[in-house]
Amino acid sequence: MSDDGGWLNRYVNTLPERGWFQFLSKYVVVPYWVWREGKPKLPGGPRPSQQPSDSTQRMMNLLMPLKDPSPIGRAKAVMALAQNVDEIYAGLDNVGTVHSARFLLVEDYICMISVYDGDFSNYIRDFIATIGSVFDALMQVVEGGDKLAPCEHNVEAFIDWVRAHDLFQAPDFPIEMFGLQDAQVGKVPNHPPHALQTLPRALILQLHANRNISLGGGYRGYPGFSAAQIRQKLGVGW
Amino acid sequence: MGVVEEHDGWSDVRGMAVRFHLAEGRSTDLVSMTLPVFFAPTPKTFLDFARKARPARCRRETPWEKIKDYLRLQLPMPDPYPGQTERPNEGAIAFANDHFWAQAAVLDASSIGAPVSYVRADYHAVHTFVVTGKEGEKRQVRFTWAPVAGILDTDPLKPPVDAYLQDDLKKRLAHGTERFTLMMQIGEAGDDFEDSTRQWPPHRKRVMMGTLTLDHVPEDQQALCEKLSFNPWHLTPGIDPSGDPVLKIRKDVYAYSSNRRGGIPCPFSGAKG
Ligand code: HEM
Repeated sequence: MSDDGGWLNRYVNTLPERGWFQFLSKYVVVPYWVWREGKPKLPGGPRPSQQPSDSTQRMMNLLMPLKDPSPIGRAKAVMALAQNVDEIYAGLDNVGTVHSARFLLVEDYICMISVYDGDFSNYIRDFIATIGSVFDALMQVVEGGDKLAPCEHNVEAFIDWVRAHDLFQAPDFPIEMFGLQDAQVGKVPNHPPHALQTLPRALILQLHANRNISLGGGYRGYPGFSAAQIRQKLGVGW
Repeated sequence: MGVVEEHDGWSDVRGMAVRFHLAEGRSTDLVSMTLPVFFAPTPKTFLDFARKARPARCRRETPWEKIKDYLRLQLPMPDPYPGQTERPNEGAIAFANDHFWAQAAVLDASSIGAPVSYVRADYHAVHTFVVTGKEGEKRQVRFTWAPVAGILDTDPLKPPVDAYLQDDLKKRLAHGTERFTLMMQIGEAGDDFEDSTRQWPPHRKRVMMGTLTLDHVPEDQQALCEKLSFNPWHLTPGIDPSGDPVLKIRKDVYAYSSNRRGGIPCPFSGAKG
């Protein structure tokens, strides 16, 4: 079998790169499969786990839709944060479970990307307690934020909102996508097992439901250690 | 996956066996491969897998079959390499479709590619070992060699080259040295210690244990390479095998095989070959 299968085979091998076939896939093939076996949206944030290293250096990728994505609206978002820098530093120092956090303006979102230790709800609670005013200012520029401010008075609703806007974290091992999709619709994961060839479809359909995702749970240079342990070891703790 | 002829440029799993020569004539082995996860949790299930995944006649999917795959949002099977008449892929995938535990390894093995160099791949010892610390504390761990030169595969769209890995290594080591770092991942209660089809999350604690420096390729490949015998059970006090049943059976399997091919005996070569 030293030939390459002739022109038709060569042509078919390049189909996924051809404009007309991409057009067909986008407007016919994918919508058909979404109709036939569409997947529900998968929830955001790290998945529950009892194991010690799972509760350190968790990743938050919070995408908050801007009320007004125009340059003026964006400037308002920038100002909301710029006026609160001291509050953020003070909050960070007092919460003590944050490795790093940053805000980004990307397309129509203001994003908060952070690495924290411990339970998600507690993390958000700590934040509200220490930098609630920052979030209140943020909520002014975020779609649907009016209902949540002041967040000290809407703690549970605020936690739910954050959870709903935290990105789904794709599994670190691709094969685990099947099990997550099963569990989401109340099935026993991988009983019966899925055909391996259908993994690309499972991924495409999930990306239809979760347009923005985190690719895996993140990479860590010193996995398994909390911010508190590192500070203590370096003699900069309290 | 059981293909006897060597084709450096074909997508396949590669192995690396290392013996550490320690003080007072002691030594310890670390046998590893480029696949991070194994095909089956027990010897019996591995045999079932191996029977199904035995290399079988392969053919190119027809254009119509490939179009059907695309319309199903699936990837067609890769075209066989020039000259390739057999491969394990179809059988392995069919088996994995019935056995979830085989899926991670089969998926990885089907897409593993060919490294541009032996020193541009990472090698995993796969099974769990139990190491004992200074205070007598025991930890369940898994080892990986990470190439300092970084991981790089050949371009799968280019025609594969048949033999280049040996020459590449000789050329590299004629000019200098190449290194690997030995990484040790520490398992936690709740991780699978006795089932190498189950990978641990990548964010478990990781300890850098040291570096391996390669400085030459010995001239006499027969005596100083082919005749050697490694055994994943040849370990120094302080490193113990876990209860992984696949690891268990490898002790006698390697000794038996070494005897059969007249290898320099490993410490377990009492087993009849
Ligand atoms: C049931 C599972 C397995 C069986 C039955 C098996 C069997 C064998 C046999 C018979 C040999 C030849 C030994 C000799 O003649 O000295 C061998 C070599 C080898 N195996 Fe395995 N193996 C298994 C799993 C693994 C795993 C999980 C790894 C990697 C972590 C691995 C890596 C290697 C390597 C690198 C060699 C070559 C060693 C050398 O250079 O001497 N094998 N295997």
